[in-house]
Amino acid sequence: MTAKAAGAVVGALLAAGCVHRPPLIEPVLAAPAEPVVELSDVPFFPQRDYQCGPAALATVLSAAAVAVTADELVERVYIPGRKGSLQLELLAASRGFDRLPYPLEPTLPALLSEIAAQRPVLVLQNLGIDSVPIWHYAVVIGFDATTDHLILRSGTTQRMETSARRFMSSWKRAGFWAIVILDPGTVPDGADRGRYVEAAAGLEAARRYDAAARAYDAALRRWPDDPLALLGLGNVNYARGNLVDAEAAYRRLLAVDPAHFIARNNLAQTLLDRGDLQSAMTEITAAQASIDDLRFAPLLAATEAAIRQALEKQERPQR
Amino acid sequence: MTRKSLQRACVIAISLSLLNLGSPVIAMAGIIDTQTVIEAGQRDADLATIRAGLDRTDVRQQFTSLGVDPAVVDMRLAALTDAEIAQLADEMQQMPAGGDILAVIGIVFVVLVILELVGVIDIFKKT
Repeated sequence: MTAKAAGAVVGALLAAGCVHRPPLIEPVLAAPAEPVVELSDVPFFPQRDYQCGPAALATVLSAAAVAVTADELVERVYIPGRKGSLQLELLAASRGFDRLPYPLEPTLPALLSEIAAQRPVLVLQNLGIDSVPIWHYAVVIGFDATTDHLILRSGTTQRMETSARRFMSSWKRAGFWAIVILDPGTVPDGADRGRYVEAAAGLEAARRYDAAARAYDAALRRWPDDPLALLGLGNVNYARGNLVDAEAAYRRLLAVDPAHFIARNNLAQTLLDRGDLQSAMTEITAAQASIDDLRFAPLLAATEAAIRQALEKQERPQR
Repeated sequence: MTRKSLQRACVIAISLSLLNLGSPVIAMAGIIDTQTVIEAGQRDADLATIRAGLDRTDVRQQFTSLGVDPAVVDMRLAALTDAEIAQLADEMQQMPAGGDILAVIGIVFVVLVILELVGVIDIFKKT
Protein backbone atom coordinates (compact mmCIF):
# COMPACT_ATOMS: atom_id res chain seq x y z
CA MET A 1 0.00 0.00 0.00
CA THR A 2 2.74 2.41 1.01
CA ALA A 3 4.85 1.39 -1.95
CA LYS A 4 1.89 2.01 -4.21
CA ALA A 5 1.39 5.52 -2.79
CA ALA A 6 5.08 6.26 -3.18
CA GLY A 7 4.86 5.10 -6.77
CA ALA A 8 1.98 7.49 -7.37
CA VAL A 9 3.97 10.38 -5.93
CA VAL A 10 6.97 9.54 -8.11
CA GLY A 11 4.67 9.30 -11.10
CA ALA A 12 3.16 12.70 -10.37
CA LEU A 13 6.61 14.22 -9.96
CA LEU A 14 7.71 12.74 -13.26
CA ALA A 15 4.60 14.06 -14.95
CA ALA A 16 5.15 17.48 -13.44
CA GLY A 17 8.67 17.54 -14.80
CA CYS A 18 10.32 17.86 -11.40
CA VAL A 19 12.88 15.19 -12.19
CA HIS A 20 16.06 16.20 -13.93
CA ARG A 21 16.04 15.38 -17.61
CA PRO A 22 18.85 15.69 -20.15
CA PRO A 23 18.84 18.88 -22.26
CA LEU A 24 17.65 18.77 -25.87
CA ILE A 25 19.37 21.71 -27.51
CA GLU A 26 23.00 21.36 -26.47
CA PRO A 27 23.57 17.81 -27.79
CA VAL A 28 22.27 18.62 -31.28
CA LEU A 29 24.07 21.91 -31.87
CA ALA A 30 26.69 21.70 -34.59
CA ALA A 31 30.17 21.45 -33.06
CA PRO A 32 31.50 25.02 -33.32
CA ALA A 33 28.21 26.79 -32.62
CA GLU A 34 27.08 29.74 -30.59
CA PRO A 35 25.24 28.40 -27.52
CA VAL A 36 22.91 31.40 -27.46
CA VAL A 37 21.36 32.95 -30.55
CA GLU A 38 18.53 35.46 -30.55
CA LEU A 39 17.34 37.30 -33.63
CA SER A 40 16.32 40.41 -31.72
CA ASP A 41 15.73 42.45 -34.88
CA VAL A 42 12.84 40.26 -35.99
CA PRO A 43 9.77 42.47 -35.75
CA PHE A 44 6.75 41.66 -33.63
CA PHE A 45 3.12 41.79 -34.69
CA PRO A 46 0.87 41.09 -31.71
CA GLN A 47 -2.04 38.97 -32.85
CA ARG A 48 -5.65 40.06 -32.62
CA ASP A 49 -8.55 37.74 -31.97
CA TYR A 50 -7.79 34.43 -33.62
CA GLN A 51 -5.30 35.83 -36.03
CA CYS A 52 -1.99 34.29 -35.11
CA GLY A 53 -1.58 33.17 -38.74
CA PRO A 54 -1.36 36.69 -40.21
CA ALA A 55 0.76 37.82 -37.25
CA ALA A 56 3.29 34.99 -37.50
CA LEU A 57 3.45 35.26 -41.28
CA ALA A 58 3.98 39.02 -41.15
CA THR A 59 6.83 38.39 -38.73
CA VAL A 60 8.76 36.03 -41.00
CA LEU A 61 7.95 37.95 -44.19
CA SER A 62 9.18 41.18 -42.63
CA ALA A 63 12.37 39.41 -41.58
CA ALA A 64 12.73 38.43 -45.25
CA ALA A 65 12.55 42.12 -46.29
CA VAL A 66 8.89 42.17 -47.33
CA ALA A 67 7.11 45.33 -46.25
CA VAL A 68 3.83 43.98 -44.94
CA THR A 69 1.79 44.06 -41.77
CA ALA A 70 -0.35 41.44 -40.06
CA ASP A 71 -3.49 43.42 -40.86
CA GLU A 72 -2.68 43.36 -44.57
CA LEU A 73 -2.32 39.59 -44.47
CA VAL A 74 -5.70 38.93 -42.90
CA GLU A 75 -7.49 39.00 -46.24
CA ARG A 76 -4.91 36.59 -47.67
CA VAL A 77 -4.75 33.90 -45.01
CA TYR A 78 -7.57 34.22 -42.48
CA ILE A 79 -10.69 32.08 -42.71
CA PRO A 80 -13.47 33.49 -40.50
CA GLY A 81 -15.46 30.25 -40.47
CA ARG A 82 -12.46 28.32 -39.16
CA LYS A 83 -11.29 31.11 -36.86
CA GLY A 84 -7.80 30.54 -38.09
CA SER A 85 -5.40 30.08 -40.98
CA LEU A 86 -4.38 26.99 -42.92
CA GLN A 87 -0.77 25.97 -43.44
CA LEU A 88 -1.22 25.79 -47.20
CA GLU A 89 -2.43 29.36 -47.34
CA LEU A 90 0.61 30.60 -45.44
CA LEU A 91 2.70 29.03 -48.20
CA ALA A 92 0.51 30.53 -50.91
CA ALA A 93 0.55 34.02 -49.43
CA SER A 94 4.36 33.96 -49.20
CA ARG A 95 4.57 33.16 -52.89
CA GLY A 96 2.44 36.21 -53.60
CA PHE A 97 5.32 38.33 -52.29
CA ASP A 98 7.88 36.55 -54.47
CA ARG A 99 9.31 34.69 -51.52
CA LEU A 100 9.96 30.99 -51.34
CA PRO A 101 8.33 29.20 -48.39
CA TYR A 102 10.62 26.29 -47.58
CA PRO A 103 9.25 23.52 -45.34
CA LEU A 104 11.95 22.39 -42.93
CA GLU A 105 12.97 18.85 -42.22
CA PRO A 106 10.87 18.01 -39.13
CA THR A 107 13.68 17.96 -36.59
CA LEU A 108 15.06 20.20 -33.86
CA PRO A 109 18.55 20.36 -35.43
CA ALA A 110 17.03 21.63 -38.70
CA LEU A 111 15.13 24.31 -36.79
CA LEU A 112 18.20 25.37 -34.80
CA SER A 113 20.43 25.58 -37.85
CA GLU A 114 17.96 27.96 -39.53
CA ILE A 115 18.01 30.19 -36.45
CA ALA A 116 21.81 30.06 -36.50
CA ALA A 117 21.61 31.12 -40.18
CA GLN A 118 19.68 34.22 -39.04
CA ARG A 119 16.32 33.04 -40.31
CA PRO A 120 13.32 33.01 -37.95
CA VAL A 121 11.21 29.87 -38.22
CA LEU A 122 7.41 29.86 -38.43
CA VAL A 123 6.06 26.84 -36.59
CA LEU A 124 2.67 25.26 -36.03
CA GLN A 125 2.03 24.09 -32.49
CA ASN A 126 -0.77 22.11 -30.98
CA LEU A 127 -1.11 23.67 -27.55
CA GLY A 128 -3.90 21.33 -26.60
CA ILE A 129 -3.96 17.57 -26.87
CA ASP A 130 -4.57 15.29 -29.80
CA SER A 131 -8.29 14.92 -29.04
CA VAL A 132 -8.78 18.61 -28.20
CA PRO A 133 -6.32 20.34 -30.52
CA ILE A 134 -5.54 24.03 -30.14
CA TRP A 135 -3.64 25.03 -33.25
CA HIS A 136 -1.32 27.95 -32.94
CA TYR A 137 1.32 29.60 -35.13
CA ALA A 138 4.39 31.14 -33.55
CA VAL A 139 7.83 32.22 -34.71
CA VAL A 140 10.98 30.81 -33.17
CA ILE A 141 13.58 33.59 -33.06
CA GLY A 142 16.26 32.14 -30.80
CA PHE A 143 17.59 29.46 -28.55
CA ASP A 144 19.65 29.25 -25.41
CA ALA A 145 21.55 26.01 -25.02
CA THR A 146 22.72 27.00 -21.55
CA THR A 147 19.15 26.98 -20.20
CA ASP A 148 17.70 24.61 -22.85
CA HIS A 149 15.09 27.19 -23.82
CA LEU A 150 13.69 28.43 -27.11
CA ILE A 151 12.70 32.05 -27.66
CA LEU A 152 9.49 32.79 -29.56
CA ARG A 153 7.32 35.59 -30.81
CA SER A 154 3.93 34.17 -29.95
CA GLY A 155 0.43 35.55 -29.84
CA THR A 156 0.47 38.74 -27.83
CA THR A 157 3.83 37.95 -26.23
CA GLN A 158 6.76 39.66 -27.88
CA ARG A 159 9.41 37.52 -26.22
CA MET A 160 8.40 34.15 -24.87
CA GLU A 161 10.92 31.75 -23.42
CA THR A 162 9.79 28.18 -23.35
CA SER A 163 11.67 25.05 -22.39
CA ALA A 164 12.82 23.00 -25.35
CA ARG A 165 11.03 19.99 -23.93
CA ARG A 166 7.68 21.74 -23.68
CA PHE A 167 8.11 23.25 -27.11
CA MET A 168 8.97 19.89 -28.63
CA SER A 169 5.84 18.24 -27.28
CA SER A 170 3.53 20.95 -28.68
CA TRP A 171 5.45 20.98 -31.95
CA LYS A 172 5.33 17.20 -32.20
CA ARG A 173 1.55 17.26 -31.77
CA ALA A 174 1.48 19.51 -34.85
CA GLY A 175 3.57 17.13 -36.92
CA PHE A 176 6.79 19.15 -36.48
CA TRP A 177 5.58 21.54 -39.17
CA ALA A 178 7.89 24.50 -39.77
CA ILE A 179 8.77 26.82 -42.63
CA VAL A 180 11.31 29.50 -43.35
CA ILE A 181 10.80 32.30 -45.86
CA LEU A 182 13.63 32.53 -48.35
CA ASP A 183 14.67 35.00 -50.94
CA PRO A 184 14.33 32.81 -54.07
CA GLY A 185 18.07 33.12 -54.78
CA THR A 186 18.98 31.49 -51.47
CA VAL A 187 19.35 27.78 -50.77
CA PRO A 188 19.85 26.96 -47.08
CA ASP A 189 22.90 24.93 -46.11
CA GLY A 190 21.88 21.31 -45.88
CA ALA A 191 18.65 21.94 -47.79
CA ASP A 192 16.90 18.89 -49.12
CA ARG A 193 17.06 18.88 -52.89
CA GLY A 194 13.60 17.51 -53.59
CA ARG A 195 11.93 19.72 -51.04
CA TYR A 196 13.65 22.84 -52.30
CA VAL A 197 12.92 22.22 -55.98
CA GLU A 198 9.29 21.44 -55.24
CA ALA A 199 9.04 24.67 -53.29
CA ALA A 200 10.42 26.45 -56.36
CA ALA A 201 7.79 24.69 -58.46
CA GLY A 202 5.19 26.15 -56.09
CA LEU A 203 6.30 29.63 -57.12
CA GLU A 204 5.98 28.60 -60.75
CA ALA A 205 2.46 27.26 -60.16
CA ALA A 206 1.54 30.58 -58.55
CA ARG A 207 2.77 32.23 -61.76
CA ARG A 208 5.51 34.11 -59.99
CA TYR A 209 7.75 33.31 -62.93
CA ASP A 210 10.66 35.63 -62.25
CA ALA A 211 10.92 34.48 -58.65
CA ALA A 212 10.55 30.85 -59.75
CA ALA A 213 13.35 31.27 -62.31
CA ARG A 214 15.63 32.68 -59.62
CA ALA A 215 14.81 29.75 -57.36
CA TYR A 216 15.49 27.21 -60.13
CA ASP A 217 18.77 28.98 -60.97
CA ALA A 218 19.77 28.82 -57.31
CA ALA A 219 18.84 25.14 -57.17
CA LEU A 220 20.92 24.43 -60.27
CA ARG A 221 23.93 26.18 -58.79
CA ARG A 222 23.69 23.77 -55.84
CA TRP A 223 22.61 20.68 -57.82
CA PRO A 224 23.66 21.31 -61.45
CA ASP A 225 21.87 18.35 -63.07
CA ASP A 226 18.62 18.29 -61.14
CA PRO A 227 16.01 17.15 -63.69
CA LEU A 228 13.02 18.82 -62.10
CA ALA A 229 14.82 22.16 -61.73
CA LEU A 230 15.93 22.01 -65.38
CA LEU A 231 12.42 21.16 -66.54
CA GLY A 232 10.99 23.91 -64.34
CA LEU A 233 13.48 26.45 -65.66
CA GLY A 234 12.49 25.53 -69.20
CA ASN A 235 8.79 25.79 -68.39
CA VAL A 236 9.16 29.13 -66.62
CA ASN A 237 11.05 30.54 -69.56
CA TYR A 238 8.44 29.19 -71.93
CA ALA A 239 5.71 30.81 -69.84
CA ARG A 240 7.57 34.12 -69.96
CA GLY A 241 7.90 33.82 -73.72
CA ASN A 242 11.68 33.30 -73.60
CA LEU A 243 11.65 30.47 -76.10
CA VAL A 244 15.41 30.48 -76.67
CA ASP A 245 16.11 30.05 -72.96
CA ALA A 246 13.34 27.46 -72.68
CA GLU A 247 14.90 25.43 -75.49
CA ALA A 248 18.32 25.68 -73.87
CA ALA A 249 17.00 24.37 -70.55
CA TYR A 250 15.18 21.43 -72.17
CA ARG A 251 18.30 20.55 -74.18
CA ARG A 252 20.41 20.72 -71.06
CA LEU A 253 18.05 18.28 -69.37
CA LEU A 254 18.10 15.98 -72.38
CA ALA A 255 21.90 15.98 -72.31
CA VAL A 256 21.65 14.66 -68.73
CA ASP A 257 18.78 12.27 -69.47
CA PRO A 258 18.15 11.59 -73.16
CA ALA A 259 15.12 9.45 -72.30
CA HIS A 260 13.30 12.34 -70.57
CA PHE A 261 10.25 12.24 -72.79
CA ILE A 262 8.57 15.14 -71.02
CA ALA A 263 11.51 17.45 -71.70
CA ARG A 264 11.47 16.25 -75.29
CA ASN A 265 7.71 16.90 -75.60
CA ASN A 266 8.20 20.40 -74.25
CA LEU A 267 11.18 20.94 -76.52
CA ALA A 268 9.02 19.88 -79.47
CA GLN A 269 6.31 22.36 -78.46
CA THR A 270 8.92 25.11 -78.12
CA LEU A 271 10.35 24.32 -81.56
CA LEU A 272 6.82 24.38 -82.97
CA ASP A 273 6.30 27.83 -81.51
CA ARG A 274 9.59 28.94 -82.99
CA GLY A 275 8.47 27.70 -86.40
CA ASP A 276 10.99 24.88 -86.72
CA LEU A 277 8.39 22.28 -87.62
CA GLN A 278 10.71 19.56 -88.92
CA SER A 279 12.80 19.55 -85.76
CA ALA A 280 9.62 19.67 -83.67
CA MET A 281 8.35 16.55 -85.45
CA THR A 282 11.67 14.78 -84.96
CA GLU A 283 11.62 15.54 -81.24
CA ILE A 284 7.99 14.56 -80.61
CA THR A 285 8.55 11.29 -82.46
CA ALA A 286 11.58 10.59 -80.28
CA ALA A 287 9.57 11.55 -77.19
CA GLN A 288 6.85 9.07 -78.07
CA ALA A 289 9.46 6.37 -78.63
CA SER A 290 10.93 6.87 -75.16
CA ILE A 291 7.68 7.29 -73.18
CA ASP A 292 7.54 5.08 -70.10
CA ASP A 293 4.44 6.46 -68.38
CA LEU A 294 1.38 6.00 -70.51
CA ARG A 295 -0.64 8.54 -68.56
CA PHE A 296 1.26 11.12 -70.59
CA ALA A 297 0.56 9.50 -73.95
CA PRO A 298 -2.49 11.67 -74.73
CA LEU A 299 -0.52 14.83 -74.00
CA LEU A 300 2.28 13.78 -76.33
CA ALA A 301 -0.29 12.83 -78.95
CA ALA A 302 -1.81 16.29 -78.66
CA THR A 303 1.57 17.91 -79.22
CA GLU A 304 2.17 15.67 -82.21
CA ALA A 305 -1.25 16.52 -83.65
CA ALA A 306 -0.52 20.21 -83.34
CA ILE A 307 2.82 19.83 -85.10
CA ARG A 308 1.29 17.69 -87.84
CA GLN A 309 -1.42 20.24 -88.43
CA ALA A 310 1.12 23.03 -88.67
CA LEU A 311 3.10 21.00 -91.19
CA GLU A 312 0.00 20.38 -93.33
CA LYS A 313 -0.89 24.02 -93.23
CA GLN A 314 2.64 24.86 -94.36
CA GLU A 315 2.55 22.38 -97.21
CA ARG A 316 -0.86 23.49 -98.44
CA PRO A 317 -1.07 27.22 -97.96
CA GLN A 318 -4.47 28.88 -98.15
CA ARG A 319 -5.80 29.99 -101.55
CA MET B 1 -12.15 7.51 -64.03
CA THR B 2 -8.51 8.05 -64.86
CA ARG B 3 -8.99 7.14 -68.46
CA LYS B 4 -11.97 9.45 -68.77
CA SER B 5 -10.08 12.32 -67.20
CA LEU B 6 -7.15 11.76 -69.48
CA GLN B 7 -9.44 11.70 -72.49
CA ARG B 8 -10.87 14.98 -71.39
CA ALA B 9 -7.40 16.43 -70.90
CA CYS B 10 -6.47 15.21 -74.34
CA VAL B 11 -9.48 16.86 -75.92
CA ILE B 12 -8.79 20.10 -74.08
CA ALA B 13 -5.12 20.02 -75.00
CA ILE B 14 -5.88 19.42 -78.66
CA SER B 15 -8.58 22.09 -78.74
CA LEU B 16 -6.27 24.61 -77.16
CA SER B 17 -3.40 23.80 -79.45
CA LEU B 18 -5.68 24.15 -82.47
CA LEU B 19 -6.95 27.47 -81.25
CA ASN B 20 -3.45 28.78 -80.87
CA LEU B 21 -1.95 27.71 -84.15
CA GLY B 22 -0.45 30.60 -85.99
CA SER B 23 -0.87 32.87 -83.04
CA PRO B 24 2.15 34.56 -81.49
CA VAL B 25 0.48 34.29 -78.11
CA ILE B 26 1.77 31.17 -76.44
CA ALA B 27 -0.62 28.91 -74.60
CA MET B 28 0.62 26.19 -72.31
CA ALA B 29 -1.18 23.65 -74.46
CA GLY B 30 1.64 21.38 -75.52
CA ILE B 31 3.82 22.03 -72.53
CA ILE B 32 3.64 19.46 -69.74
CA ASP B 33 3.92 21.58 -66.65
CA THR B 34 6.18 21.04 -63.69
CA GLN B 35 3.40 20.38 -61.19
CA THR B 36 2.00 17.60 -63.35
CA VAL B 37 5.39 15.91 -63.38
CA ILE B 38 5.71 16.20 -59.61
CA GLU B 39 2.20 14.81 -59.14
CA ALA B 40 2.80 11.94 -61.53
CA GLY B 41 5.94 11.04 -59.61
CA GLN B 42 4.07 10.93 -56.32
CA ARG B 43 0.88 9.17 -57.23
CA ASP B 44 -0.39 6.39 -59.42
CA ALA B 45 -3.80 7.93 -59.79
CA ASP B 46 -4.88 10.62 -62.18
CA LEU B 47 -2.87 13.75 -62.68
CA ALA B 48 -3.97 16.55 -60.41
CA THR B 49 -3.99 19.22 -63.09
CA ILE B 50 -6.71 17.34 -64.84
CA ARG B 51 -9.00 17.70 -61.86
CA ALA B 52 -7.88 21.18 -61.00
CA GLY B 53 -10.71 22.99 -62.73
CA LEU B 54 -13.35 21.13 -60.76
CA ASP B 55 -11.47 21.36 -57.47
CA ARG B 56 -10.94 25.09 -57.77
CA THR B 57 -14.68 25.65 -58.11
CA ASP B 58 -15.28 23.46 -55.09
CA VAL B 59 -12.64 25.20 -52.97
CA ARG B 60 -13.93 28.63 -54.02
CA GLN B 61 -17.37 27.65 -52.72
CA GLN B 62 -15.98 26.31 -49.46
CA PHE B 63 -13.98 29.48 -48.89
CA THR B 64 -16.94 31.77 -49.44
CA SER B 65 -19.20 29.69 -47.23
CA LEU B 66 -16.55 30.00 -44.50
CA GLY B 67 -16.80 33.77 -44.73
CA VAL B 68 -13.85 34.61 -46.96
CA ASP B 69 -14.52 37.76 -48.99
CA PRO B 70 -15.42 36.62 -52.53
CA ALA B 71 -13.38 39.52 -53.89
CA VAL B 72 -10.14 37.98 -52.63
CA VAL B 73 -10.89 34.28 -53.08
CA ASP B 74 -9.46 34.09 -56.57
CA MET B 75 -6.27 35.83 -55.53
CA ARG B 76 -5.86 33.27 -52.75
CA LEU B 77 -6.58 30.34 -55.04
CA ALA B 78 -4.17 31.58 -57.68
CA ALA B 79 -1.20 31.15 -55.37
CA LEU B 80 -1.94 27.50 -54.60
CA THR B 81 -0.65 24.55 -56.61
CA ASP B 82 -3.09 22.09 -58.11
CA ALA B 83 -2.07 19.47 -55.58
CA GLU B 84 -2.72 21.91 -52.75
CA ILE B 85 -6.11 22.78 -54.22
CA ALA B 86 -6.98 19.10 -54.41
CA GLN B 87 -5.96 18.68 -50.78
CA LEU B 88 -8.07 21.66 -49.74
CA ALA B 89 -11.06 20.36 -51.65
CA ASP B 90 -10.89 17.11 -49.72
CA GLU B 91 -9.84 18.24 -46.24
CA MET B 92 -10.45 21.94 -45.68
CA GLN B 93 -12.81 21.35 -42.78
CA GLN B 94 -10.44 19.00 -40.96
CA MET B 95 -7.10 20.69 -41.57
CA PRO B 96 -5.43 22.44 -38.65
CA ALA B 97 -6.40 26.10 -38.65
CA GLY B 98 -3.94 27.93 -36.44
CA GLY B 99 -5.98 30.40 -34.42
CA ASP B 100 -5.76 31.21 -30.80
CA ILE B 101 -6.26 29.92 -27.31
CA LEU B 102 -9.14 32.38 -26.90
CA ALA B 103 -11.26 29.81 -28.69
CA VAL B 104 -11.20 27.67 -25.61
CA ILE B 105 -14.11 28.19 -23.24
CA GLY B 106 -16.12 26.58 -20.50
CA ILE B 107 -15.54 22.97 -19.63
CA VAL B 108 -12.79 22.60 -22.14
CA PHE B 109 -11.02 25.39 -20.31
CA VAL B 110 -11.30 23.60 -16.97
CA VAL B 111 -10.03 20.37 -18.48
CA LEU B 112 -7.10 22.20 -19.96
CA VAL B 113 -6.25 23.88 -16.66
CA ILE B 114 -6.10 20.47 -15.05
CA LEU B 115 -3.96 19.05 -17.84
CA GLU B 116 -1.73 22.10 -17.60
CA LEU B 117 -1.30 21.68 -13.86
CA VAL B 118 -0.16 18.09 -14.23
CA GLY B 119 2.21 19.13 -16.99
CA VAL B 120 0.68 17.25 -19.89
CA ILE B 121 0.18 20.38 -21.96
CA ASP B 122 1.52 23.91 -22.08
CA ILE B 123 -0.85 26.61 -23.17
CA PHE B 124 -0.66 29.14 -20.39
CA LYS B 125 2.17 31.59 -20.12
CA LYS B 126 4.52 31.28 -17.21
CA THR B 127 6.28 34.28 -15.82
